[in-house]
Amino acid sequence: MNKTAFSLAAASVLALSVQSAFAQDKPKPPPAWHQGKPAALADSKLAPVPGKMTETPESEIPISKMKLPKGFKAEIWATGLVGARAMTMNDDQTKMWVGTRGIGRVYEVTNEGGKRTVKVAAEKLTQPTSVYANGALYVFAIDKVLRYDNAAKGVSGQPVDMTKAFDLPPMQHHNWKYVRVGADKKLYVPFGAPCNICEPEKEYAQIRRYNLDGSGKEVIAVGVRNTQGFDWHPKTGELWFTDHGRDWLGDKGPEDELNRLSKPGQNFGYPYCHANKVVDPDVAKGKKDACKDVTLPVTTMGPHTAVMGIHFYTGTMFPKEYQGVAFVARKGSWNRTNKIGYDVVTVKAGADGKGAKVTPFATGFMDPKDNSFWGRPAYLAQLKDGSLLVSDEQLGAIYRISYEAPAKKK
Amino acid sequence: MLLLRQGRWALLTALFISAAHAQNFQSCAACHGPDGNSTIPGTPSIAGQPRIFLENYLVLTREGLRGNDVMRGLLKGVSDKEIVAYAVYYSKLKPRSPDLKTDPKLFNRGKDIAAKNRCASCHERTFVGREQMPRLAGQREEFLAQVMLEYRQNRRPGGDTMMAAALYGIPEADFKALAHYFSRLK
Repeated sequence: MNKTAFSLAAASVLALSVQSAFAQDKPKPPPAWHQGKPAALADSKLAPVPGKMTETPESEIPISKMKLPKGFKAEIWATGLVGARAMTMNDDQTKMWVGTRGIGRVYEVTNEGGKRTVKVAAEKLTQPTSVYANGALYVFAIDKVLRYDNAAKGVSGQPVDMTKAFDLPPMQHHNWKYVRVGADKKLYVPFGAPCNICEPEKEYAQIRRYNLDGSGKEVIAVGVRNTQGFDWHPKTGELWFTDHGRDWLGDKGPEDELNRLSKPGQNFGYPYCHANKVVDPDVAKGKKDACKDVTLPVTTMGPHTAVMGIHFYTGTMFPKEYQGVAFVARKGSWNRTNKIGYDVVTVKAGADGKGAKVTPFATGFMDPKDNSFWGRPAYLAQLKDGSLLVSDEQLGAIYRISYEAPAKKK
Repeated sequence: MLLLRQGRWALLTALFISAAHAQNFQSCAACHGPDGNSTIPGTPSIAGQPRIFLENYLVLTREGLRGNDVMRGLLKGVSDKEIVAYAVYYSKLKPRSPDLKTDPKLFNRGKDIAAKNRCASCHERTFVGREQMPRLAGQREEFLAQVMLEYRQNRRPGGDTMMAAALYGIPEADFKALAHYFSRLK
């Protein structure tokens, strides 16, 4: 190698290493998290509520504090699921998988003989969730998609790594995913905005769907800041999804949302238009018609309430007035002086989303007298007997809510 | 008196910790200092850190999502109960930072950057930390600078992503000023 060739080679190595040093700091940074925090709130001490990373034994769960309408009853169904979020079950409901965020685990709950046992099915993942479909368990982390085949009787062995097929963007913030498989046998996967308020790059703030093998990627909703749950309407088959409003605009909002997708490609407003036509004061400045062509929510869901899972009740155990109604878990606020949410509500609305009415259902997780709380309801699932399961992310537990008609007086 | 008080905590804590992991406590002291105040470059002080912060760190490190190989090795198979006991113990110890030479220009620059980025809104006005958010005051300077860089580069997974988002776009030179400022606070 002559001298010139050598120095050229050295230069290209150097260039490469400089490039990779830059690459480490990519992708292009969105604005810092405090963007949108006005001077008036500069000294605000509001910060996200800390989760609990250690197991909570059944004896330390104050389930008796949960309040329900007459005839309903709550019991502790499973514990030891630190950071429990979305639940998915096999067809006969003998196995359930529960995703988490920080702790990086997917739990497997075996439900047999009236008892639950818990083990870790997958671990060391970045904010994993899971969905069971077609005999396989699909695990979605922020940077990974894994498929465990033949999972109906429990997950075992090595998964198939499907990451490459899904084209996952790298940012973590607001990118934990709620994933479901629709009646169209497609995977529905959201990609949140990686900031409080910013004009995100084009792969964020949207919901996509894919074929089960990751092919056929299609963006079906845009302008979605951070959806944490969705379900299909039992009559229309339309997708209804929750979405978190932005922070740092004060205690009154903008409110969280419950949305309805009536055709693919609809725009739900972020970052310019929030809730019911709240024009963003930071990024929509000077923009006329910030809410033009924006699909407004079926209903707003309260300021900073952190709306999570939604489940249309299709059972018959609960009284008629609850059948076909949407149950929505509100994990509860941090960006608000007085806490709000920390409950499960029902949303009664027409199939077209009109006339929506939000009513508290499961409450008592939070005490407004001193702003304290013990649990944070996150996701919902329905058992074959028609009872409703609620996961509590704070205490890593699942509660079962059942109904028995009060005995008639003779 | 201080020793006595610490001794009592150690005793209380020991009740929750199995013999197998008593060894671990000595291992903590070997690097983080007998009183939780580190004198080893790159190794953080842990005395007086908020309990939840310590708990989270220890759990995530045990899970292999955070920390380094040494910490992961030490925490292998450690139960949640024991982790809570370690966290309680070290959160009760008194942070003592050494008297370091201060560069007033760098210190004030750090102070300005901290104010501009509103670090205090989570880490407290005096930077003593709270709940899941660590104490920065009196922490080792080189450790702080390194950690901030790792956050910005998404190399500290497992925690709340808010911190990574808080540091996007801040240049490395600013981390040095911030680290200088925080490390000089008592």
